[in-house]
Amino acid sequence: MLSIKDLKASIEDGTQILKGINLEVKAGEVHAIMGPNGSGKSTLSKVIAGHPAYHVDGGSVTLDGKDLLQMEINERANSGLFISTQYPTEIPGVNNVEFLKMALNSKRAFLGLPEIGEAEFKKLIDEKMELLEMDERYRDRGVNEGYSGGEKKRNEILQMAILDPKVSLLDETDSGLDIDALRIVAGGINHIMGPDKAVILVTHYQRLLDYIKPDFVHVLRHGKIILSGGPELALELEEKGYDWIEEK
Amino acid sequence: MDAISRIKQIGMPRRNNELWTFFPVAKIPMPEFPETCNDTADYSDEEDFAALLPIAFNARTMRQDIADGANEMAMLKCNNDFGHTVLDIGKNATASLEILDNKVAHKICAERFDIHVGENATVHIFFANPADGVPLRFRHFRIVQEAGSKVYFSEIERGSGIKRTSLDAFLKGNGARLEIRSLNVLQDSDSVHHRITIRHEAPETESVQFARNLLNGKSNASYNGSVVVGANCSKVFSSQLVNTILLSEDSSVSVKPVLKIYHDDVECTHGNTCGELDAEQLFYLTSRGIPVEKARELLTQAFAKELFMPMPDSPAKERLEQVVSKL
Ligand SMILES: Nc1ncnc2c1ncn2[C@@H]1O[C@H](COP(=O)(O)OP(=O)(O)O)[C@@H](O)[C@H]1O
Ligand SMILES: [Mg+2]
Repeated sequence: MLSIKDLKASIEDGTQILKGINLEVKAGEVHAIMGPNGSGKSTLSKVIAGHPAYHVDGGSVTLDGKDLLQMEINERANSGLFISTQYPTEIPGVNNVEFLKMALNSKRAFLGLPEIGEAEFKKLIDEKMELLEMDERYRDRGVNEGYSGGEKKRNEILQMAILDPKVSLLDETDSGLDIDALRIVAGGINHIMGPDKAVILVTHYQRLLDYIKPDFVHVLRHGKIILSGGPELALELEEKGYDWIEEK
Repeated sequence: MDAISRIKQIGMPRRNNELWTFFPVAKIPMPEFPETCNDTADYSDEEDFAALLPIAFNARTMRQDIADGANEMAMLKCNNDFGHTVLDIGKNATASLEILDNKVAHKICAERFDIHVGENATVHIFFANPADGVPLRFRHFRIVQEAGSKVYFSEIERGSGIKRTSLDAFLKGNGARLEIRSLNVLQDSDSVHHRITIRHEAPETESVQFARNLLNGKSNASYNGSVVVGANCSKVFSSQLVNTILLSEDSSVSVKPVLKIYHDDVECTHGNTCGELDAEQLFYLTSRGIPVEKARELLTQAFAKELFMPMPDSPAKERLEQVVSKL
C-alpha cells in the first residue's frame, strides 16, 4: 500500500535529515516508529506529506503504486494520505466544522463525487464527534484555536475519521492526552482502521501500543531505520532505551 | 481665516509635512480655487489640506441632527466632487451611519465630516463599498466626543485609485471611547493612506486603532497614527495595531505610530506586524486536501474577518462581515 524506498531529504541549509528510509506498509497493518528525539521521525511524515521546508534528495514514496512525491500536497491527501503532525497548527478565523466540510468536499471533488449534502454531513460529523466523545465547543471555534494539546490531538483524529484515509501517519498523537483521552482517541483510531487501511504511529510510549497493537515496530535513528521487529520490540525499547541497538 | 486663505498659507502637501509622510503628494493636482469662500468660519487652526479642500471649494453643507435618545440609521452620500457633512448626535442617541461613495466625482473627490457626539451616545460610522474609480479621494473626519460616548469607525477599502482617510478625534468627555477598524484589500496600483490623530482630553478615555492590510500587486498602504494624551488625563487606554499580509513581492506598507503622552497613569500600546500568509497554516489546510488557491482564500478571509469580530452586534458589523465574506 505505502512503499517508501531509500528516501533521503534535507532542510534548507543542506543538512540531510532523512538518510535513506525504507518501509513497506501493507493494507491492514499497524506500524509503530520509535526512536530518540531528533532522529527524523517528524521529518519523515512531513516529507511524505510534501511540507515545503524539506527537499527530497532521492528515493520514492508510492501509495497504491502512485508516486506521492510528484503530487501537490492536496493531491496526496485526496489520494488517501493523512498525516497528523506533532504540533497541529492553529488557524484562528477558520471555523473547524466549515474546514472539515471543505476538506471532505475537496476529496469528493477529486474523486469525481458531488458535494456532500447538508444532512448527510451533519450526520457524519455528529457520529464521529460522538465516537471521539468531543463536546460541542469544537464546532464553533477556529481550527485548533486555543485548544489544549490534548484537544488538538483529538481534533486530528476527528479529521481522520471524516476523511477516511487509506494510510495515516500519526506523529505523537498520544502526547498531551490524559488516560481517559488516550483510551478514547485510541478507540477512535481502531474504529477507523480496517483491513483495507494502514496506520503508522510515531510514539515514545508503550501505553499507546497497549491500545493499538502494532504488527511491526521500527527504530529510527540518525535518519535511518536501524532495527525492525514485532510488537515485543517496543517493550524491549521501553525497558532498555535505544543505546544498546547501535552497540549490536 | 477662511479655508482658501489657510490653504495658501500652509501650502500644498509635501512629504516633509508629518501629516503627509507616506502620501504620493505629486499626484495632487494644483487646485484652482473659486473667487470667494462662502464658509466664513475661521480655519486658522486646521493643519490638514484635505480637511480644508471641500470648504475651499464651497462644498454644499449637509446638516443632520439626531435628537437626544433617538435611534437612527442613515446613509450619507455626497453628490458632487466636494462634500461637507455636519452631524450633531444628541445625548444617549444611537446612530448607524453608512457613507456611500460619490458616483459622480471626476479627477478628485474630497469630503469632510464634522461629527459631534453627545454624552453617552453610541455611533457607528462605516463604509464598505468599493470606491468608484475616482483617481484621488480624500475623506476627512473631525469627531468630537462627549463623556461616555462610544464611536465605532469602521471601513473596508477596496478599488482603484489613491485614497486618503484623515481623522482628528477629540475625546473630550470622561470615559469617551473610539474604536477604529480599517481593512484595506488592495491590488494593482491601489494606494490607501490613513492619517489618524486621537486626542485624549479627559480621564478614562479609550481609543483602539486596528488596521489590517491585504496587499497584492503593486499596491501600497500607509498608516500614520498619533495618539496624544493630555496632562490631566489619568487612566487613559489606547492601542494601535497594524497587521499586514503582503500577497505579492511588489506590494508595500508603511506604518508610523506617534505617541505624545503627558501623563503617567496611562496604558498605551502599539504594534505592527508584516508578513506573508502563514506557511504552516497553508500546509495544514492543503495537507487536508484543500487546493492551495482555496486555502489562500480561506486564510485571507479569516485574517479580514478577525478584524471586525470584536465589534458589538450592529447593522454596521453585519454589513462589514457581509462584505468580508465576499472578498
Ligand atoms: N524545518 C527544519 N528546520 C531545521 N531543522 C530541522 C527542521 N526539521 C527538522 N529539523 C532537524 O532535524 C532533526 C530531526 O528532527 P525531527 O524529525 O523533528 O525529529 P524527531 O521527530 O525524531 O524528534 C532535528 O535535529 C531537527 O532539529
Ligand atoms: Mg518529532
